[in-house]
Amino acid sequence: MMNSNSGYTRTGYLHQIAQQRAMTRRSFLSSAAVAGAASRLFGFAPLKAATLPREQKTVVVTFGGGARDEETFAPEGQENIPRMMNELIPQATFCTQLVNRGILGHYVATASLATGVYERFDNFADVAPKNPTVFEYFRKELDRPANDTWVIAPSNGFNRIGQSDGTQFAPGLGAQVILPKHLLASALGKTSSSAGLDFLLQDNYEDPLYTPPAVQSNVQLSRLTEMLHLSVDDFTHHAKTLSSADELSVYVMRQLMRQFAPSLLWITLHDMDIAHSGAYSLYLEGIQRTDRLCAEIWQMIENDPEYKGRTTMLILPDFGRDSDFSASGNGFQHHRTGDPLSRTTWMMALGPHIRQNRTVDRPLDSLDLVPTLGAMMNFATPSAKGKPILEVL
Amino acid sequence: MHPRDLRVESFAKYPPQGRSLAIANLNVLKRMPLILLSLMLRQIIQYDWSFPAEREQLLLQFKFLNHLDAASFDGLMSSFSAIPLSNELIEIDWIDNPQRFSEQLTAYLWSQHQIDNYHKTAQEYQQRLQAAFNPMPPAVPRWTIVVVGQGSQQTERPLFRRLRPRGTLFTEIDPAGALDILLDAVSSRAQQHPLEYGHWYIDGGEPHPAAAGIPGLTIMSYNKLASVAKQEFALLNQFTNRASKNGAVGVEAVSSYIAGLSPEDLNLKGTPVDAPLRHFEVNILTQGAGCQIYSTTFVQWASRECLHRAQPLTLFARFATRQSNAPMEQLLARDPLTQPQDQAGSLIDADMGAYYTWINQSRLAGAEQSRFLVWFEDHRLACAIAPSLPPGKISTAPTTMRRVLDWMA
Repeated sequence: MMNSNSGYTRTGYLHQIAQQRAMTRRSFLSSAAVAGAASRLFGFAPLKAATLPREQKTVVVTFGGGARDEETFAPEGQENIPRMMNELIPQATFCTQLVNRGILGHYVATASLATGVYERFDNFADVAPKNPTVFEYFRKELDRPANDTWVIAPSNGFNRIGQSDGTQFAPGLGAQVILPKHLLASALGKTSSSAGLDFLLQDNYEDPLYTPPAVQSNVQLSRLTEMLHLSVDDFTHHAKTLSSADELSVYVMRQLMRQFAPSLLWITLHDMDIAHSGAYSLYLEGIQRTDRLCAEIWQMIENDPEYKGRTTMLILPDFGRDSDFSASGNGFQHHRTGDPLSRTTWMMALGPHIRQNRTVDRPLDSLDLVPTLGAMMNFATPSAKGKPILEVL
Repeated sequence: MHPRDLRVESFAKYPPQGRSLAIANLNVLKRMPLILLSLMLRQIIQYDWSFPAEREQLLLQFKFLNHLDAASFDGLMSSFSAIPLSNELIEIDWIDNPQRFSEQLTAYLWSQHQIDNYHKTAQEYQQRLQAAFNPMPPAVPRWTIVVVGQGSQQTERPLFRRLRPRGTLFTEIDPAGALDILLDAVSSRAQQHPLEYGHWYIDGGEPHPAAAGIPGLTIMSYNKLASVAKQEFALLNQFTNRASKNGAVGVEAVSSYIAGLSPEDLNLKGTPVDAPLRHFEVNILTQGAGCQIYSTTFVQWASRECLHRAQPLTLFARFATRQSNAPMEQLLARDPLTQPQDQAGSLIDADMGAYYTWINQSRLAGAEQSRFLVWFEDHRLACAIAPSLPPGKISTAPTTMRRVLDWMA
């Protein structure tokens, strides 16, 4: 807010530092991508599109929490993402500039990623996206059953993300949404053994004092455990071995992959959003955990015969966080200024038809995700506003 | 209501000094677009408890606006006027609740994809003001001293990485008595350059006993305010329990309720003389995120707000350890002062907090002459930024804190 600026004199020196940050953004991200594959003697790996299996699968991993370059792909941040740097980047096409021009709230931004249109609803409202989701396009056009697309979402506020408000698509064509925290809370209620698992249930970090809307989850606990062939006791027992909510989400993801092998699977991780508490060390821990989990998800894909060799994985933060040099913000803690660093992030694509060790420097838009998924999986996305990212097709 | 309809009676509920200020500048306020007017009213309604530096800024702004001819005034306002507002916003009681208006305005601007336009407009307005004021540097160079790592041990993670390129790193400072030397320096400055709210001490734990005896030093600490934060949470719980009987409680309602809490609501008692400090402490706890539960966040945020609002000549900020992480429900309910501490995490938090404190000092007038020192408490490592010290250098020679201060002076 402007009020926060009053009385401030932005010195030329400070301004210069900020300028340098912005100007060198592409170069250090590019160097990160190249450095990750430094051992390769030749440039791009051969495109494998000719051997593309017919039934493609796609896994989308988003970070609801926002990640800045400084803590990820900038030189000083690369120590926080060793698995991405050493294992994933050498296999990936890396897009260095993905710009989110919408509202920087996690639910509304993730919903915008899923519709390809910048949604305008109140981030904390219990509403469905107005525009058709990628899940509805996918199921309707390819005539896919309900179990072929799932969303694993981080907090109760995401429970309506699976399908649009019904204006353009009839209800029932969306993705099934799993809220692992909600499921665990239900399970704990049944087993009366909640002690020690509260840390897996924190709904959100942006406004911890706010009571989220009551959840009308698409999938109730008993039905889910029945479908996943997983007892409530096993579920809660396993939860006790986990150290974070995101690990719980990945655990549920693994069960889904084993049971249904969905073709379009979307998971949103959220641990790093603890940055809102202002504790930098906890924010870094969240990023480091996310780095590990992304590598583990890729391993899950590579080790699963249903997925190996036919799956594209896209990894992208929903947006960044405020710059250290934005006078109206407080650095990494929030994403409220709308400054370029809070709007600009990156995307990584891996898979059998993705060129390895490739960097895309041109600015892309967050809305490009849905048309890209449509082009990858061969369905139309008529209401989406973005354009397919040709470099990953 | 339209700004042009403002009258003397409109400010009947304002505190006396703020009311007088508004009435004295009524003609300017009536000509302002609502977006800018609401921001001005937020400052006016707090005027009675503002710091001298804030008052001066506001008075300068009115002086500048009063002296503009009509065409220049309208030109300056035109970008704000061009941002459309909804009827719902206009109908909010923005006179008596400018804070609430701002919250609703922010949500509206985001939803209408106007937030970037607003920020651009606000920055341009700010630059015009800065150019008109030509802010004078302080009478003596500003000093900020940040002490990190109280209760923490050295970690593998190198400290002060972001600050090293700006200053000289000292690796062999004798830690014996160093804290006393720093507090002596603060004391000397407070006595040599007396200024109301011009010298501050902010501690993430219990303030050092020596600080209490320094005349002219404004002291605030996490340990003192932890109980105030608990009272805040208790009141908030009561509010949400009451409000939720009528349906879900929205984020804006919670924010507005918190913003309306007073020192009296939070059992912060004192005299009229120190009312600005009490209101500042309430603002820290009600407007800052995380500073209620983590002492490291508290020191960082309080230092930021202190530099921004009070623009002190001297700031001494000392980080302590914070409580270990836990589910938010527990963090909100338990006593943070009696919990296990996260020593390693606190040091990382404080390191980043020191960097942010330097950035915030660098935003103030006279930044080029300012001095900044960060020291790892009870250890030999410090980084000093001053015009007299070469940036990016490392000094490995044994030395004392006294000599470092002398080199900085």
